[in-house]
Amino acid sequence: MEKTLNRIHPVSNPEETYFLQVSWEKDLGTGFGIILSDGQCAWTGKVSEAEISREAADMEMNREKYVEELKNALIAGEESTGKYDFVISRDEENVECHFSYEKNLKDGSFRLGSLKLQKVLSPAEVVKELIGYCLDRLGRLQAKNEHLQKENERLFSDWRDVEKRLEKCVEAKEELEADLYNRFILVLNEKKAKIRNLQKLLNEAKESEGDG
Amino acid sequence: KAPDLSSVNKVSNVFEDVEFCVMTGTGKYSKSELESRIAECGGSVVQNPGPDTYCVIVGAENVRVKNIIASNKYDVVRAEWLLQCFQTKMLVPWQPAFMVHMSPDTKEHFAREYDRYGDSYTADTDVAQLKEVFSRMKGNKVMPLDMIAELEERYSWNSCQLSIFRGNTIYVDCYAIVNEPRTKIHGTTLSIRALELRFYGAKVVSYLDEGVSHVVVGEDHSRVKEMKALRRTFGKKFKIVSELWVTQSVEEGVPKNENQYLI
Repeated sequence: MEKTLNRIHPVSNPEETYFLQVSWEKDLGTGFGIILSDGQCAWTGKVSEAEISREAADMEMNREKYVEELKNALIAGEESTGKYDFVISRDEENVECHFSYEKNLKDGSFRLGSLKLQKVLSPAEVVKELIGYCLDRLGRLQAKNEHLQKENERLFSDWRDVEKRLEKCVEAKEELEADLYNRFILVLNEKKAKIRNLQKLLNEAKESEGDG
Repeated sequence: KAPDLSSVNKVSNVFEDVEFCVMTGTGKYSKSELESRIAECGGSVVQNPGPDTYCVIVGAENVRVKNIIASNKYDVVRAEWLLQCFQTKMLVPWQPAFMVHMSPDTKEHFAREYDRYGDSYTADTDVAQLKEVFSRMKGNKVMPLDMIAELEERYSWNSCQLSIFRGNTIYVDCYAIVNEPRTKIHGTTLSIRALELRFYGAKVVSYLDEGVSHVVVGEDHSRVKEMKALRRTFGKKFKIVSELWVTQSVEEGVPKNENQYLI
């Protein structure tokens, strides 16, 4: 089971804040559950796979594309703020709550879905669950953060180590090369000196031949 | 003290009528072992070299050996030579590698055949022999990079894949402040590029002076303007290229044309 918790603001009163929890199995397209709370009251509802298919068909929309829109509207959080509107209307006794989500377009908006939510009898339990969810998530994120930070430190120190080793290899290669070339030159020059000497002897021999 | 070699069984006549003086043994063979094996091959052994001594055999050097060398009268030969003679049952010709010291006569003879490092003037060499010659050369003066570059050009070795950047003088933009080596930025890919450049033959410098042929920059272009301003004051202009020039040249094993990497 996967869950997200987002803060939403109803279009009718943007000052108001509601907490929207969406829960689903594997994929949003196979149906999802909703918990909506203003911190005091809480409402719950379910959208089935069949309803999702029907909504998509009613809108003459590709199902996958529709599910993608649902994801953006209900679980994407911050990055989709402003692109989607939420309409929340509750009756006097807070027994029923009408919840709908709409995609914001340049010229008006169109409704992605709506459902009737039922009042939860013990809202405190729901709020507890929501806070619990936040704390769990915070804990997990902190642990992950620590792990990543350690990993990062390890990678960085590995990098420095490898860099130092590479530098040593490069230095050794440069030294070896310079040393070998130096030795090569010394031996090569010995050969050239010998050739010069032989040339000299040859010239001397030619001269003495000429003399004779 | 002379060993008693009268009971030795002769196995060959390789050293017939040859007189040796064994000074010291090797780690593997003691002095007396070497002496008895000389006797087995028909040679004779004396404890002090004299006018009839063919050569002095040395396993390890010590004070006595040094004195013999200083006297400059005898050929001092490594025990390895003797071992090769035993092994091949032949009188192996002396080679420079065997000689610890040469008498003036022998030296003259060798000078006609070998250069001062022991490389033959006439016989072809091979990897093992050249290695051996190189290993006996003392004092390692290190050759500067530009001389290597010249040498490689002279013998057309500059197409070697390890010499992609040979002859180039390169400043890598890995200092937070240009020409301040103390401000080196650590842990970036540019420091790896600098090592790669060196590995493939470039001269990498930490000051952007006249004479630099290339400047290699990474993703951070914040110092490019300043470097371009500096370039205007130089007579010989350098090229500013992205680090891709390095990686792609290395990948392809040839120096890539800089023009497509200019910043």
